[in-house]
Amino acid sequence: MAILKPAEERRTFERLANLREIVFGVQDGVLTTAGVLAGLSGAVSGRSQIILAALASTAAGALSMGAGAYLGTRAEIEVIRAEMRRAREHAREQPYIVQESLLDELAKEGLSREAGYRVVRLLSSAPQALYSTAEEKIYGLSGGAFGNPVVDGLLMGIAFLVGAVVPLLPFVLLSSIRTGLIAGLGTTALVLFAVGYAVEGRLAENRYPAIAGARFLAIALGAAAAGYLIGLAISPLGAAAP
Amino acid sequence: MLKPGDAAPGWDLPCVFDGRISRLRLDRIRSEMVVVFFYPHDFSFICPTEVTGFNRAQPAFKQEQTSIVGVSVDEAEVHLRWSQELGGLSYPLIADEEGILARQYDVLDEHEKVALRATFVLDAKRTVAYSLASSINVGRSVSETLRVVKALRSGHLCPADWQPGGDFGPADTKS
Repeated sequence: MAILKPAEERRTFERLANLREIVFGVQDGVLTTAGVLAGLSGAVSGRSQIILAALASTAAGALSMGAGAYLGTRAEIEVIRAEMRRAREHAREQPYIVQESLLDELAKEGLSREAGYRVVRLLSSAPQALYSTAEEKIYGLSGGAFGNPVVDGLLMGIAFLVGAVVPLLPFVLLSSIRTGLIAGLGTTALVLFAVGYAVEGRLAENRYPAIAGARFLAIALGAAAAGYLIGLAISPLGAAAP
Repeated sequence: MLKPGDAAPGWDLPCVFDGRISRLRLDRIRSEMVVVFFYPHDFSFICPTEVTGFNRAQPAFKQEQTSIVGVSVDEAEVHLRWSQELGGLSYPLIADEEGILARQYDVLDEHEKVALRATFVLDAKRTVAYSLASSINVGRSVSETLRVVKALRSGHLCPADWQPGGDFGPADTKS
């Protein structure tokens, strides 16, 4: 009979947690760059200016997103560790409160009060087991869910770059701004639909992956359309500038 | 919540006493005073300290002609297993499953459908002589309840923090 191997299962979940950085990075890279292209296409007439701005935006975006992911994960780890220390101190000082709270949580999850009492009493015989269960059930903390700041930062930055290439490449390859923008938005739409379809649809075992893809795309297109309209709205400022 | 001077509602409810399920009526309790303490749940980590505390102090309450009755909304079967878990109790636990008694004493938490942590001391006329309620996560003081029973039975005017053997209040006319 096959049994679960906790270390392997944990690694699988950690890899799945990295999906957040990848999806976020790709989506942001695609949208930010498509937004810059769409916005500037409405505001300026020089194709090379638009490409330069998009490249600068891509570089800045990849670096800032990568740094942000690194700093965010580091801060999250430190705050969670501090919370876990505080929770353990609380459990040591007021064991009855922690036991009672754990009992309540188990009852909410369907265990009868009597059965929950016996479980908590058993856990109380091994303080480490009681603390880690209380951390998860009462405080929603989980020591195993820490990301790696360096990995998160690199994944986010690289994903952003990959995403940025999607609308930028057709724009660079085609000679007309209008055609380049349409092609760029077209590849953007395809990739966003594909990400939504693959991740929210297939990976999440959604019954209607195409709807998941379409939803992902709809949100993204809304942002791009808004970018284009803002570009149009502020274009007079560019004309008026000395 | 019922206050001193209010007539204590009677009851005729299932209870667990002496390892058996039976029924208990307030008007069948012969002692001079009755301590009725409500608590939220059996199989809890805060409640047992009170339940066992009253159990250990039961001889002292008996010396003061006072019976103890515990009340929660748990079923009689659960009370039976709970009293066995605690090693047996020397006073009855009432199964107020519908919360009727708790509601009559105005100590039912309508949201959680459990009794608050409330203590009532009933005098010989079964009038409320003392009442106290605390937050669900704070256990009561059994020794304080015993002190209050002794003070009430003294018939004297007892000052703050009065202890048996201590002086009564300057306005006490019975001394």
